[in-house]
Amino acid sequence: MHERLSFFVKRDSILHRLNPLTKLTLVLGLILVTFLSPWYWTPEILFLLVVIPLSFLGKVSREFFRAFWRIILPAAAFLFLMQAFFQPVGTQVIFQIWFLDITKESLLFALRNAMRIIVMVSSFTLFLLTTHPSELMSDLTRRGLPGQFAYVIISTLQIIPQMQAKAQTIIAAQRSRGLDTQSSYLRRVGSLFPLVGPLVFGSLVEVEERAIAIEARGFTSTHVKTSLREIPDSNADRVIRWVIIFLVVITLALRIWLS
Amino acid sequence: MSETTMQGQKKQSRLSLRRDFNTMTWVLIPVAIAINIAVGQIVLLLKLPVYLDSIGTILVAVLCGPWAGALTGALSNTIWGVAIDPNALPWWPVAFFIGLVAGICAAYGLFKTWWKVIITGFLVALTAATVSTPIAVYIYGGITASGSSFITAYLLQTGQGVVQAVFSTNFLVEPVDKITTCLVAFAIIQGLSRRFIARFPRPENVEVEAGTNRTQMWIAIGVVVLLVLFAAFMLGKILGG
Repeated sequence: MHERLSFFVKRDSILHRLNPLTKLTLVLGLILVTFLSPWYWTPEILFLLVVIPLSFLGKVSREFFRAFWRIILPAAAFLFLMQAFFQPVGTQVIFQIWFLDITKESLLFALRNAMRIIVMVSSFTLFLLTTHPSELMSDLTRRGLPGQFAYVIISTLQIIPQMQAKAQTIIAAQRSRGLDTQSSYLRRVGSLFPLVGPLVFGSLVEVEERAIAIEARGFTSTHVKTSLREIPDSNADRVIRWVIIFLVVITLALRIWLS
Repeated sequence: MSETTMQGQKKQSRLSLRRDFNTMTWVLIPVAIAINIAVGQIVLLLKLPVYLDSIGTILVAVLCGPWAGALTGALSNTIWGVAIDPNALPWWPVAFFIGLVAGICAAYGLFKTWWKVIITGFLVALTAATVSTPIAVYIYGGITASGSSFITAYLLQTGQGVVQAVFSTNFLVEPVDKITTCLVAFAIIQGLSRRFIARFPRPENVEVEAGTNRTQMWIAIGVVVLLVLFAAFMLGKILGG
């Protein structure tokens, strides 16, 4: 069981040393360009020429490809198949089973959507692999993000694995008392409450204590807080951010101009 | 936070943004997101035909207010999308509006007795169906990765437009899920102590009214029946045309 929900891999690379905001801009820029670009093959080109090289540059290619094969590709492949079969567009039938048919148009449509999802998720994965969540949050807080937001994000990432472990414990405990989680429909509906009840009430009880604890530590104080760690933000970071914003604007302009 | 939003609303005290957030809210939101995810996974394990993945969002919306609920929903979907299932990411506006609408309903007293909670659930379902339609159409061309897309695919094969097919599917699937979600959230709130609820920004949302008002209930049931008939009529018209 992980202590916190985080994909961060501690390495020393150019990508790791970039300011978190620069990396976030890069990811959002990639996603926007993928969705806005007027050319059909943009997602494929971006994936092959930007996302994959970046994973090598960040020295996280092994972890990146593991996530890619296990999570990203299956999800995209499933979406691809669903859309290729069920989209009723197009007339050039390539392949047909029963009442389902794949046309050239539906195939192209499905490929574009699947590739967009691949670029979106893989660039996010790359971001999460090279950025520690606390680093991102303390940098954003320094730039004016309210501390409460940072608390919510970091705290959520810590609570989710705890909650999942708790859910597993409750399921095991109730099963050992003979709770039925496999038979008829009504039985399963009935067993929802003995599982959800303890989980929810148990976790709500902690809320009040935690609220008192963080309030005692100046959670709602509006004074500027000092940070233990200074996160570097170089001139190169600033240049990269502006270049990305410029590219997104260019794509948007091309999209409007060409359509 | 933003003064202009507050002034823009007529009912300042009911829907004001600032009122939603105290320390208890900020601590409840992460727990609520974790509840969304953990309960969603329990329901998957029990193989029930609902999602129930917004119980936490509804809890925050009712106890803390519409804006806190909306924030919980949006963050919940984003974190779910980034950490667990990438296909959940584009749906964050749906979760945002689920929280917002549930919070508004609760602020106007629609979360005090079980039948009012059903009305809230119905309104939330209607919102969810409406908001998710353009997302499904624009990003996925109507066919998403969820199981209910088989219905959409069937409707598309019968020659319907994409928007109609997606909306009809959502309208068939959402009410059951959202009404159940709201009832579970209601049951949870009823199980909490009043002292605990009083620490949240809007404890008055769930104060049980003294004595159930029979006439009100019959009017509400009549309205729901009319709404369902209207919906059936619309659906029949869509399916027929």
